[in-house]
This record gives sequence, structure tokens and C-alpha cells, in this order.
Amino acid sequence: MTDNDAPPVIVRDLVKRFGDFVAVDRINLEARRGEIVGFLGPNGAGKSTTIRMLCGLLRPTAGQALVAGYDVAREPERVRQRIGYMSQKFSLYNDLRVIENIRFFASLYEVPDSVLKERVSWILDMAGLSGRKSTLTGTLPSGWKQRLALGCAVLHRPPILFLDEPTSGVDPISRRQFWELIHTMAAEGVTVLVTTHYMDEAEYCNRLVLIFQGRIVASGSPTELKQRAMTGELVLVECAPLGLALDLLRQTPDVADAAVFGNALHVVVPEARTMIPRLRTHLSQHGVIVARMEPIRPSLEDVFVSLTAAQGAGGKA
Amino acid sequence: MRWHRLAAIVRKEILQIRRDLPSLLITVAMPLLLMLGFGYGVSFDIRHIPVYVYDRESSQQSQDFLKRFQASEYFNVMKTVDNYQAVIQALDAGACRLAIVIPVNFSEQLKTGGPVSVQALIDATDNNTANVSISYSEAVVQTYNQQIQLEWLQRHGQARLQPPLKVDARTWFNEDLESTANIVPGVVAIIMAVIGSFLTSLTIAREWERGTMEQLVSTPVTPLELMVGKLVPYFVIGLLDTALCAGMAIWWFEVPFRGQWSVFFLSCTLFLIVVLSLGYFVSVVAKSQLAASQAALIATFLPAFLLSGFIYPIDQMPAVIQVTTHLIPARYFMTIIRDVFLKGTSLPLLLDDLLALALFAVLLTILATRAFQKKLS
Amino acid sequence: MLGRLRGMLIKEFIQVFRDKRSRFLLFGPPVIQMLVFGYAATLEIRHIPTAVLDFDNSQVSRDLLSRFTASPYFDVRARLNDRRQIGELIDRGDVTVALQIHAGFAQDLRKGRTARLQVIVDSSVSNTALIAVGYVNQIAGRFSQDYQRERLFSTSPLVQSQLPSIVLDRRPWFNTDFDSQWFFVPGVIGNLILVMVVSLTAFAVVREREIGTLEQIMVTPIGRLEFILGKTVPFFLIGLLDTTLISLVGTLWFGVPLRGSIGVLAIGAILFILCMLGIGLFISTISMTQQQAMVSGFFFNMPAITFSGFATPISSMPEFMQWLTYLNPLRYFLDVLRGVYLKGVGLDVLWPQMTAMGVLGLVMLTISVARFHKSLD
Repeated sequence: MTDNDAPPVIVRDLVKRFGDFVAVDRINLEARRGEIVGFLGPNGAGKSTTIRMLCGLLRPTAGQALVAGYDVAREPERVRQRIGYMSQKFSLYNDLRVIENIRFFASLYEVPDSVLKERVSWILDMAGLSGRKSTLTGTLPSGWKQRLALGCAVLHRPPILFLDEPTSGVDPISRRQFWELIHTMAAEGVTVLVTTHYMDEAEYCNRLVLIFQGRIVASGSPTELKQRAMTGELVLVECAPLGLALDLLRQTPDVADAAVFGNALHVVVPEARTMIPRLRTHLSQHGVIVARMEPIRPSLEDVFVSLTAAQGAGGKA
Repeated sequence: MRWHRLAAIVRKEILQIRRDLPSLLITVAMPLLLMLGFGYGVSFDIRHIPVYVYDRESSQQSQDFLKRFQASEYFNVMKTVDNYQAVIQALDAGACRLAIVIPVNFSEQLKTGGPVSVQALIDATDNNTANVSISYSEAVVQTYNQQIQLEWLQRHGQARLQPPLKVDARTWFNEDLESTANIVPGVVAIIMAVIGSFLTSLTIAREWERGTMEQLVSTPVTPLELMVGKLVPYFVIGLLDTALCAGMAIWWFEVPFRGQWSVFFLSCTLFLIVVLSLGYFVSVVAKSQLAASQAALIATFLPAFLLSGFIYPIDQMPAVIQVTTHLIPARYFMTIIRDVFLKGTSLPLLLDDLLALALFAVLLTILATRAFQKKLS
Repeated sequence: MLGRLRGMLIKEFIQVFRDKRSRFLLFGPPVIQMLVFGYAATLEIRHIPTAVLDFDNSQVSRDLLSRFTASPYFDVRARLNDRRQIGELIDRGDVTVALQIHAGFAQDLRKGRTARLQVIVDSSVSNTALIAVGYVNQIAGRFSQDYQRERLFSTSPLVQSQLPSIVLDRRPWFNTDFDSQWFFVPGVIGNLILVMVVSLTAFAVVREREIGTLEQIMVTPIGRLEFILGKTVPFFLIGLLDTTLISLVGTLWFGVPLRGSIGVLAIGAILFILCMLGIGLFISTISMTQQQAMVSGFFFNMPAITFSGFATPISSMPEFMQWLTYLNPLRYFLDVLRGVYLKGVGLDVLWPQMTAMGVLGLVMLTISVARFHKSLD
């Protein structure tokens, strides 16, 4: 039944409805062995719902999802043997010691005693908890907890790993360490599906899937997405007053889009080289003091904003 | 105390309660359930005591005597058996609580005169019911005795004999000796204790568990403002529930209300403050929702149920426990509410109890705010 | 399969026994409640505070009143000489019963007219009033009979000796001293087990759901049955341990005799705990938060205890409620407890109760297990 060449995760026309609300609307997806697939989207877009369906926690309303070759709706137990899952909510027992948590999950996954010792020391090592195995889990800092949770989720060496916003509430350094772990696992052939709304994290993924209002609006590698999404070039404008400048730019023909990013504006134009002088004079004429104006490479955040904005406008039209 | 901050907390609390539909339902359903459950379930009007009879004579006279039991609403003659074994089995299995055994030569002996003994085998497991059934059986026997003695004396020409003593009993306040009249006002006190402590202790413990309390504490709100703000909505709910219960007591269970409404609401207000601050205190001290609910149960519901005189009369308890009951706020409220309902007692006579409640209210408020400050530091 | 179950069990036991506080919560409250219930829960009525007002002050009236002074049921606290004082004393709750003998009482008796004993009872506590009236009637009845006998004896001794009468030969079984602790203590065991097991089980699952660990467990290959067993077996054992503990308190501290076999008691306890596990699990399947679990638990526990025959006999409840009690496992367990403790009966008598609990337990567990899904929707 399991074909080694078949993608470990295959999703076809997956739908999830809660009453009248369509949380996931005909999603199609495939993930290859060793691939890190990132689900990107605003809160409530349907990322977590999709992951939960793939883990067999929620029953799909329609469509099909094959994980490790098994249908999640029909054979959830077989799926569960082959996956690891870690959710945004820290879900180890705070009132158990580190080692007790590991042993508990090891017993649930029936990790044989022969390898248990080696796995335990691997986790302690990986989570930086060597020598703290008798600490009560609740007293650990969140970065440690997160890595411990990851360790417990992969105790049985699953070929597929689902991570639902794994790094929310974790400091940047711990996040980096966390992602290094993910990459190591992917390199060993583990397929990782991860949801996030940290844009910098999305850059770590091999492939991104943008989800908006329950639908996939774009997918591809981070670089592909950046190229595809931006029909035009991006110009950074630092100026004052910001509000007036925004209004002016939006009224200017040839400007495809303008939006506030931090204390500056991002403006999309067909060609930066010719447009920059024109915009500079236009703004100065109306009393806007321009400090800086230069072409930049789009970040994923730009892509994300432009794609969802297009989708939102399209939805209304 | 800043009114706008207080108002903000109250508003937030009301919003949360309103969104939490199940809890809202509970505040209505709980009183109804308790009221109906206790009103119907706790009845001391012991009636229909199951009785077996073993008539070893089976004569006209013995049947006549046994009919007296049958006719009484206090007894329910289930079965007539014809051997001792059946009687013993029935008592063992709890099929009857009382068995009347008529001797072989019952009518014979009555004719020749002198006392005839009729056995009453009583399942005394439940001592209270056993006592009551003895009382009632004695009453049946006495009436029967009077009748046969009168007949006998008439036959022997001593017709003028009358029963020498008649008990003329007047029951005050609850003329029909109905236990609903007694239990139902007490249930009002129980419900207030439950709503007050149970719900508040849980909702506040939840706020600690979820960490939202820390958020609140980091604002300039003072502990007293926080406490009052959190409790005001529950206070209102408590009062509404009280009114609901009082309404049910009067219109559904037809318990007379003879006192003044002002005294009633004054005492209710005091008691609500007591139970709310107790619930708050418990939730501040307890670590988790489970611990809070357990503690609230032990600290409020049980004493209110057991040690307030609700069902079990205080003056029958061992001295140590009698003294302890003075520490139970529900004890005072129980006295007040029954007196107000049934006796129509006016304010001056209830002053002691009201003062005790007021004292508890002040003490518990101080205690709760102190505990809160201690927890923060 | 066994490995996973073992893992679940180890984890549950670690969590339950980790800290002192949770260990105390398992065994402290039951024992405390047992002690308080054992002492406070009594429906025995003795030493009823009584006032007497004797306007006759004759030999006979003093004789009648001395019968009240000598009785353990009445405690004559005041001898009055003004009728108005009665109202005052009763209003203040100082006395429950007032006895009044009119002037000319002795004369009435002498002339063969019916004399009256006026009794005023504060019936706001209906059970006490009911029993008090019963005792007054018994004493007055005795007095009547004695008086009549004496009179007849002085006029016509022969007639007196032949006067027929029935004497009730009271034979209380099982609890010959009418000790209310003997009645309540076995009942409390049932109550406590019910409350403990239901709330612990319900909370155990719902807490995991609230914290989020349940979701983590659901994505592991653990079987539904393994999970449920892992969750219930610890509470089953704790329930049994609690039963043993409080039974020991009942026997050693309160001296309630255990007349039947411990084996039968154990079978009853096991079946009853299974029923309660079923209820607890069911509550956990319908509650999303601990608060909801708490409240659902309360909604089950209250009626279950009220309508079990714990304090008042089922036969005095409204008929509809009596039918409902057949669905109440506590009803059967109380029969078993009291049967084994006080009556010393065995399975030959208690098999219907055991069967009923077995069936109810099976049904409840089946429904709960069927309702328990390893998914979030």
C-alpha cells in the first residue's frame, strides 16, 4: 500500500465546514519526502484546521487526505503511528518532570525499551536539558519547553511532522535553534508541514502555501512567490508626512499599490529606474519632504500583503 | 475606590457572564433544580410506611384491628403473610419497615380481659422513621383500646366513662406540620450559598489559571475595586435568584410569607456579601479550579447543608459541634429566613443574627483582600 | 497495548500523588466530611426545650408534668405563670413546646369529665414539631390509661382487672438503640464515594481538554479504550481506597457494627464505583471546561443524593419521584451498605440491588465510552 515514491502527504479537494462557515475550501496539496511546507496566512484562514484534519483530529467534510499512504478519515490510527504533531498550545504536562513526560509519550508511541535510552538522551541533548531531566516541566522557560515538546512529538521517529505555530511565544534565539532542528530532520527525510505567521520563519521553508479565507491563493518556493506575486518593482519611500504622501502616491497613475510598512512606504511601480525621479518631484511639489527613495527587494511580507489584498478585492468584486 | 474603574470591571464581568450562556443557564436552572429537588425530595412527612402483617389468629376482631392500620395514611399495608420467615425476610430485604404480628388467641384474650400483647417488629435502621412509625402505631393502638374499653364498660354497666385526658395541640407558624414549609425557605439559603461561593470561586480561579488575572492586576485597579467589581454581577444574579426562589416558595410550594420584605432583603443582601467574599477568598487561596471547587464545596455548601439547622437540628448535635455552628454564617441566615417566612418575626428580634452576618461580611471582605495582596507579593 | 496502558497509568498516578495538596484532596475531605456528618447528621429529637404553665397546681397536674420532666425527650426549661410568656419564648425560639394545664384540671378528672392538656408547638421546624407532638401524645396516653386504671381499681377492682387492652410490644431490629449514627454513617460512605469518584473522573478528562494535552494524546496511536482505562483505573482504585478509609472511620471511630461480610460490601462498592465512573466519564464528554464539568457534576450529585433515601425514606416521596429512584445507583448502594452493616444480610437478599447496579453501570459505561471520540468535533 505504501509506495516509497508516492508523496507522503496528498490532499485532494479537502473541505471542512463548521455549520455554515467554510473553514477550509477545496484545498489541494502534495508534499514530498524531506520537504518543509509552510502554511502562511492570517489568523482564521484555515491553516490549523487543515493540519488538524491531516492529523485525524477533525473529520473532513468532503475531499480526501492521504498521509503516509493512509486515508485520514478512514484509517486515522494508522496515520497516527506515522506522524508527529505539535500544536501552538504547549501540550506537555506541566506537573510532570521532564523525564516523566518523555517516558509517557514514549509509552504511548510504544518506543521499544532497546532504543528508549538513546532517544531520551537525544531529546535531552537536543533540547539542551541534559542534567535537568528531573525538573518539573512547568518551571522550564518556553524555548526549552518548545524543544522538549518537539522531542516528544518525534520520539517514534515519524516520517511526517505536523507543526501548528510551533514557535509562538518563543524568543528569537530559541526560534532559530528550533528551525535548525527542523532542517536537520528534513535533511534526514522527514516531511514537515508547518503553520506560521512569522514571515522570517517562512523563509526557512522549501515551499510556501498561502491560505486565505480557507483557500490556497498561491504556492511555491519563497523566491518563486516573490517573483510571481510582484508585477512590477518595489520602491521604499521614507518621507514626512506619511499620510499625505500615501494619499498622493495612491492617486498617481502608474503606481500599482502603496502601503505603510513601519515608518516608511512601500510602493509598487512598473519600473523603478524611471519612476523614482518622477515620484520624487511629485511629492516635493506637494510639500512632502523625502528622505530616501530607492528600489528594494520584496520581502515575503510584501508578497503576503499584495496577494491577500488582491484576493480580498477579487472576493468583493 | 474609583468609580469608573469599578464600573469597567463590572462591565467586563457582565459581558463575560452574558457570553457564557451555559453559566447563565445554570444561574436559573440551579435554583429551580434545588428548589424542586429539596422541596419534593426532603420530606419529613413520613407517610405510607410499608407494613407487613402476620395475623396468627385471623379472626373477625384481629381483622378489625388491622384495618385501623390500613385506614391510616401513615401506613401502607403491603402484604399479609402467614409465617415468621416471611416477616424476617421482608425486614431483611427492606420490603417493609414495620411488621405487626397478632398472637394466636388474640380475640380470646381480649374477651377474658387484661392486656394482650401485639408485636411490632420495627426496622430501626433508619431510627427517625422507626420512631415516627412507633408513634403512629401507638396512636392506632390507643384509639382502638379506647373503643373496645368503652364497649366493654358499657356492657358491664359503667357507661359514663370518658377518656380522662385529651391533648389539645396547637401548632404555631406551620399549622399543618408540613415539611415543605420548613424545608423550602431553608433551600433559599442553600441556593444562595451555592450560587455565591461555587460560581464565583470557579470563575475567579479560572481567571488565575488562564493568566488574565495578572493582566488585570498590572493595571492601577486596587484589590478592593477588583473584588467588588468582580462580585457585583454575581451579587445581582444572587439577588435575582433569591427573588426567584422566594417566588417559587410562595406560589409553587405555597409557603406562607408572614414577615417583612425589607427584613428579608436586608438579610439576603448581608448573606450574599458573606458567601460571595467567601467564594472570592477560596478562589484566591486555591491553586486550580478543581481545588477551588472542592474547597468552595467544603467551605460553604456542606456547612450550609449540615451545620445550619437546615435539616439536622442544631440542638441535637454534640456540644462541640454546636459551638462550631456559631462560625457558620448560614446558621444565622437559616434562622432569619425561617423566622421571616413562617413566624413573621420583626427586625428587633432578629438583630443578633443580622449583626452576626454583618460581622462575617466585614471580616471576610478584609480577609479576602488581604489574601489577594499576599498572593500578589 | 499493555505498554501504552501502563504508560497512561504511571502518568496518572504521578499526577495524582505528586504534591501534598493533591494527596490531601483525595483523602482529607472524605474523612473530614465523614466526621462532621457522623456527628452533625442526626434526626434524633431529644431534650426538646419545653416550658410549662400549670394553672391548676394540683397533685395530678404535677404528676402529669413530672412525666415530662422525667422523659429524655423533653427538657423543661421554664415554669411560667403568665400565658403571654409562652408567645414570647416561642417567638424568640427559646422553647419549642409549651404545655399548659388549666385551672380545675384535677377537678375535671375527678368528676369524670375530659380534662385538657394544651400543647403549643413551634412547628417552623416541622420534623421536630411532628416528633414532639408524637411524644406528647404518648405520654398523655400513658397517663390517661394509668389514671383510668387507678380509678376503676378504686371503684370496682374486678372490672379493672378484666378491662381489655392491647399493648404494643415494640421490637426494634438492627438498630435497637435507635442510634442515628448507625443510620447515617453507612449512608455517608455512599454519598462521599459518589461525590469523589464522579468529580475526580469528570475533572481528569476535562482538565486535559482545557490545558490542551488531550489534543496531544489524541494524535498518538493510543486506543480509545486504553485512554479511558488509563483515566478511570486510578480513580477506581482511589474510590476503593476511600471506601476502605471511611468505612474504617465508621467502624472504629463511630462504632457502627459491620455485621455482614466484607466481601459483599466490596462487591457492592465495586459495582457502585463502576456506575460513578460511567457518570463521571459521561460528564466529561459533555463538558468543555472544568466549570461546566463542576456544574454538571452538581446537577447529577444533588438529586442523586436527595432521592436516594439517604436522609428521608423514599416511600414518603411523591410517587413519580419514587419511580425515578429506580434509576439512581445510590439508592441500591445505600441498601447494600445498610444491609451489610446493620442487618448483616448477604447476597441472597441483596442480589437484586447488585444486579441493578451492575446493569446501570454497564449501561452508563457503554454510553460514555461510545460518546468518547478521539477527535475534536
